[in-house]
Amino acid sequence: MNSLPQDMYRELADALGEENISQEPAVMDGYAWQPAMNLTNQKWIPRPAAVVLPATTGEVQAIVRTCNQHRVKFKAHSTGWAAWGGPSQEGELQIDLRRMNRIIELDEKNKFAVVEPYVCCAQLQAEAMKKGLNCHIIGAGPNTSPLASATSGWGYGGTGLSTGYSGRNPLGVEWVLPDGEVLRLGSPGSGAGWFSGDGPGPSLRGIMRGFSGTQGSLGVFTKCAIKLFPWYGPREPRVEGVLLDVKTEPPETEKMFFVVAPSFQKYADISYEIGNAEIAYWFCRSPLNAGVDLFMPRAGDRIFESKPLRALLKAFQHLGVALLSSPSRREVEYQEKVLRKIALEHGCILLDLSKAPGYGFWWWLMGVRSIPTALTFRAGGDFLTSYGSPVEYDNAIRQAEVAKQCKQKYIDQGFFKDDMSDIGWGGIYEGTANWGHCETAAMFDRRDGKAEGRSRYLEDSAETTVQHTLGLGLSNLPPGAWKVYGPKLHNYHLWEARIKKAFDPNSVGDEQWYVPSIDEIEQEASSAEERR
Amino acid sequence: MVNKEDLARIVGPERVVTDEDALIAYSFDSSFVKGERPECIVKPRGLDEVRQLVRLANDQGFCLVPCSSRGPRSRGDTVPAVPGAVIVDLSEMKAIRRVDQRNKVAMIEPGVTFAELQAEVEKHGLRLEMPLTPRQNKSVVASLLEREPTTGPKYNWDAIDPLCCLELVFGTGDLFRTGNAAGPGSLDEQWASGQAQKVPMGPAQTDIARLIQGAQGSLGIATWATIKLELMPALRKGYFVAGQTPDELIDFTYKILWRKLPDACLILNNVNLAAIAGLDQEDLPPWTLLYSLSGLTHLPEERLDYMEQDLAEIARELNLTPRRNLKGVAADRMVDLVSRPSEEPYWKLRKRGACQDVFFLTTLDRTPEFIRAMDGLSRELGFARENMGAYIQPIRHGTGCHLEFNLMHDPTSPEDTDKVPVLFDRAGRACLDLGGFFSRPYGPWSKLAYAQCPDTVSALRKIKNIFDPRGVMNPGKLCFNKEA
Amino acid sequence: MNDLAALKNDMEGCSRCSHCKWVPMAQIKSWRFAKVCPSVDRYNFHAYSGGGKLIAANSILEGRSEITEAVMEIIYRCQLCGACQVSCQAYRDDIDLADVLLDLRARCVSEGYVLPEHLLMIESMKKEDNTLGLLKADRGAWAKDLDLLDINTQQVEVLFHAGCRYSYDEDLRQTVRNWVRLFRNAGVDLGAAGPEESCCGGRAFEMGYQGEMRNFAEDMIARIKASGASLLVTPCSDCYYTFKYLYPKNGLDPGVKILHAVEYADLLIKQGRLQPGKCAPMRVTYHDPCHLGRRGEIYKAGWSGSNKLHRPVRFKQMGNLGIFDPPRDVIRSIPGIDLVEMERIREYSWCCGAGGGVLEAFPEFAGWTARDRIEEARSVGAEAIVTACPWCERVFKDELKQSGDPMKVYDVIDLIAASWGG
Repeated sequence: MNSLPQDMYRELADALGEENISQEPAVMDGYAWQPAMNLTNQKWIPRPAAVVLPATTGEVQAIVRTCNQHRVKFKAHSTGWAAWGGPSQEGELQIDLRRMNRIIELDEKNKFAVVEPYVCCAQLQAEAMKKGLNCHIIGAGPNTSPLASATSGWGYGGTGLSTGYSGRNPLGVEWVLPDGEVLRLGSPGSGAGWFSGDGPGPSLRGIMRGFSGTQGSLGVFTKCAIKLFPWYGPREPRVEGVLLDVKTEPPETEKMFFVVAPSFQKYADISYEIGNAEIAYWFCRSPLNAGVDLFMPRAGDRIFESKPLRALLKAFQHLGVALLSSPSRREVEYQEKVLRKIALEHGCILLDLSKAPGYGFWWWLMGVRSIPTALTFRAGGDFLTSYGSPVEYDNAIRQAEVAKQCKQKYIDQGFFKDDMSDIGWGGIYEGTANWGHCETAAMFDRRDGKAEGRSRYLEDSAETTVQHTLGLGLSNLPPGAWKVYGPKLHNYHLWEARIKKAFDPNSVGDEQWYVPSIDEIEQEASSAEERR
Repeated sequence: MVNKEDLARIVGPERVVTDEDALIAYSFDSSFVKGERPECIVKPRGLDEVRQLVRLANDQGFCLVPCSSRGPRSRGDTVPAVPGAVIVDLSEMKAIRRVDQRNKVAMIEPGVTFAELQAEVEKHGLRLEMPLTPRQNKSVVASLLEREPTTGPKYNWDAIDPLCCLELVFGTGDLFRTGNAAGPGSLDEQWASGQAQKVPMGPAQTDIARLIQGAQGSLGIATWATIKLELMPALRKGYFVAGQTPDELIDFTYKILWRKLPDACLILNNVNLAAIAGLDQEDLPPWTLLYSLSGLTHLPEERLDYMEQDLAEIARELNLTPRRNLKGVAADRMVDLVSRPSEEPYWKLRKRGACQDVFFLTTLDRTPEFIRAMDGLSRELGFARENMGAYIQPIRHGTGCHLEFNLMHDPTSPEDTDKVPVLFDRAGRACLDLGGFFSRPYGPWSKLAYAQCPDTVSALRKIKNIFDPRGVMNPGKLCFNKEA
Repeated sequence: MNDLAALKNDMEGCSRCSHCKWVPMAQIKSWRFAKVCPSVDRYNFHAYSGGGKLIAANSILEGRSEITEAVMEIIYRCQLCGACQVSCQAYRDDIDLADVLLDLRARCVSEGYVLPEHLLMIESMKKEDNTLGLLKADRGAWAKDLDLLDINTQQVEVLFHAGCRYSYDEDLRQTVRNWVRLFRNAGVDLGAAGPEESCCGGRAFEMGYQGEMRNFAEDMIARIKASGASLLVTPCSDCYYTFKYLYPKNGLDPGVKILHAVEYADLLIKQGRLQPGKCAPMRVTYHDPCHLGRRGEIYKAGWSGSNKLHRPVRFKQMGNLGIFDPPRDVIRSIPGIDLVEMERIREYSWCCGAGGGVLEAFPEFAGWTARDRIEEARSVGAEAIVTACPWCERVFKDELKQSGDPMKVYDVIDLIAASWGG
């Protein structure tokens, strides 16, 4: 186990204060425990050499410069949920951005907020809603950092029809580069406020992220302006309960429907129709069997054993949840008419949830606060996800089909909980844009020691994305994936590696979830050549 | 030094142009950018020729200036900054390779103009989100790469929109495809699997398309692009809301954008409204918000109906009256005009024969400050207010705003030719000082804009060094040196 | 004795989602009051959170690290308020966070890592049967002239257990005496043990001295039995939690119905046996004591097994069955009192700061925690914080006095007494 050089420790303690740095092993292990989305299927990742808690951009710079000086790698995280938040090797510095937790600005008229890393989506949403605005909450849930998903991760959300995709929502960004310099993207870099992240000239958002971010490999993001979207519901809703006991009274202009299509194809068709008709606040696929697993996992175990009940659930396999939301009764009435028409024309069943008892529960949990993903813990204790590339929606639905076949094999072998395999979740996004995603999660109990099988599933699923031309998505992102996909996709990895070298000349940004510097790749290639 | 025979071997001798008039025509445009006469013009026909040209440029050390639109050009970005440049004229690459009706996306080559594309997509019941009445032979790809704002803020989710994917050749000669066009799989395989190169993100962890946008051809050459399309509405109605000042219209604009009601939504002053519609500006209110409502795929009349009622309520709250007509022009016609390429002569040139544009990004609520500043400046310099057009375009759902001033002038008038450069220069500085964000820094704005952000300059130069290390692509633009 | 190793599966379940730091997501209403864990909010390193301590426990069990002075401080800078458990168990069924935290302390004690302040409390408990370092002989002084039935000599129906804090804290004397008066007004024959009352032992358990609690529990149970009481009423939330949760969890049955004083008052009001008077107009907010609220939830006995994923939901200690409505109903029944709610209430309430031995060992941290709560009360326009626990009242009063803040602190009984002109 490596610790920090003493003089480096001293410099950091002097810069941040003794109470904001630790090398205590039990404290370090709080950062080394990273079983979630740990695609190596380990539960511990390498223990950091120390952890630091900066409070300002200046302190982050000081940390990064110190790392450069001493050639110590670093990895920063916001909430730190999932393995990519931590170090990939011993001796690294963990930067915990917890103390940078302010909403700096919330511009009601121009619909954006400027946040620091440790603001969570629920906080931002609660404040935004007071102003008639909403934020994009990624599927992982409202406990995540909107800054992190906008700058560094990926981020589909159930409300994507209205709130887009996390990576397309950043405006101005403040970024401490791996060399310790501060780069402000767009208008903040020119002293013109936070409303734009692009320019002057080429948009450097292009190196910040693509479909996914660099997961902390290219420095530390200290502020991000994030687009907000109209919110038409109550500004300060009264909600009782904490999750499964939630009760609230949504207004009549918030109407939720289950739309059940008879096939994958029809589901895709109605999704396109809904997008093109410009109705619905959101429309997201969520097979009923998935709901059973999330909301009543023990009953689910029994239900899934019953052939007749499986058949019944299968009838609701292609279930989409639509939320109609408007401050205008006329608008909601119109949208409902259109939704009914679309459902009828495509042979779908439409269920009006707003009339059902306990409607408020569904509306708040699924429709607004985007909480259900956390319930995936209930079924097995843990979960992974797969497929889910950003594509035209026909292809997204195709991914659900392919995923079903692939995942079933692993359910049959006991690596995943039986949930009837197809729990393909994802919606059609950005209004009329006709693109979306459909990812397939799988539940399991990590404590059962069957990690090998799950790794094989991930490899298998990744292979099928190539075989069936399903885009580059969640199956294709584990560390080192660039070795497989880079050469197939115009050597994107080499361009990324050159960017890495240019902006991180000392290679102090932990590169595990991105690419190493071009020098390292070329050296490895040349060594491989020599070995041949 | 370019070897023209090598060029001829790549594109064919008939496609290497050395005609002096043609070369001179590229050495300037209507901007104030002072340029150099190019060595020649080449007209590649496709990807392979473009790649060969770029590789040759790297080998022989000459520079390339890509250009997709036919003239008259006005930004200075295609005027070579260095002598001996080769203009890569892509305007004859005119294939509309594919229109995917279901996914509402078209794949086009750089020479396709708005008029050409619009005619084609209309056959499929689709339409383009377009910049305000572009000139007839403006290249769609060029417009996308310039991040020109489009008139429908609702459809503009991100700065990159409506651009989706690109096929491009970097300054190194390497081929790249962006977004989900990158793969896995060939284009045919992607189409067979239901993909349509519509998703702009990636591949993986970069958005190289964002780097190419705004680069003024200094990082690479695009050989095709895909553009997001929208449905042709079943019904469409336009509305005007008049105001004595832009302030009167701003709250209303915010409110209707918050409701996501209008499709087209923009504000013009009387000068621009008159120029586009062919009217007398004296008959028009000083400021006019123009917006359109649509009936779409289902129950179009009912959609229009509820939207009209909702909008009327919002307008009443603010003591405004949406109108279907202004003196001399119906709003429906106006919406149609702003949604099509301009008839000749180009609308900006109609009044006085020439026009200089000053534009930048800000937020809608700040536009009155800039307008007042420009009014003050024009008064100070004796530039007649009735010759200054103004255009306010909310973008990205209204999170930002493109603000543009069109200085219409007589190029044959000595008074104008003296005054306008001064006004242009002072306007740029004044608006920058007030906090205008010159995100598209053409010509002299590049020096002003980049002086504000040395961190961006440093980063962009690293990018340039990666994608065009030999500096062959349009050197001397933006913050890039003329030498490699 | 509980065994940390027996909870390894719980620790292994943690996915580091950090829900334990936040108010349950469904209830976050603002940026300001979204946090629920004072420890991590104050000290920031992940190890301070509920999940972080879970990981630390796992790390220790796996031999990756060991308890040190620094680690001990992390473990004990925690009020054991239980908010982390509520937030965690909103989402998952298989982690009993609170149990791990308690057993972690027991491990500290067993390895000799003890805080001197806690040691003092334990010594006091052993010598004088109270946590405050005061004389046992003085314990009954609070009830002077109240003519309570002496359970040492008489059988009673209802046994009143004051608890250590109310027994000795003179500043709170009027409050505890008012409770007795209230029940007497309702016609209840109350008895008490006087100086023979001793500590419930709950605090000892919380500090990691699990065996000590057993001693006090056995004593307590014997005394209850000897009194003949069918009902035990206590105004102390810590004691309430000990009787309702800790005793049954450790196989100890008090053998009698247990009510908190505010529960009993609510019952009596609804039965028509008590009628509050009227107060001068005042806007108040109610602070849910952790040990009456989420920790006051009865221990859900009856399930055993190795895989908690299969444990039925009714056995999860989610905290929602604590005592939340009775105090509110009582307050609302007093004309003149305008009750407004804070954002963090009920089972997701913010801790006052006093519990888990923090008031004694880390008073600055306790005060910091209390200050946050006072800010929250102020944010809803309250003139007073009303609560039902002497430890909450103590720490709020101390903090307000120190800062010169005009906010008032009342127990629920103080309002009733005021409504009667008292």
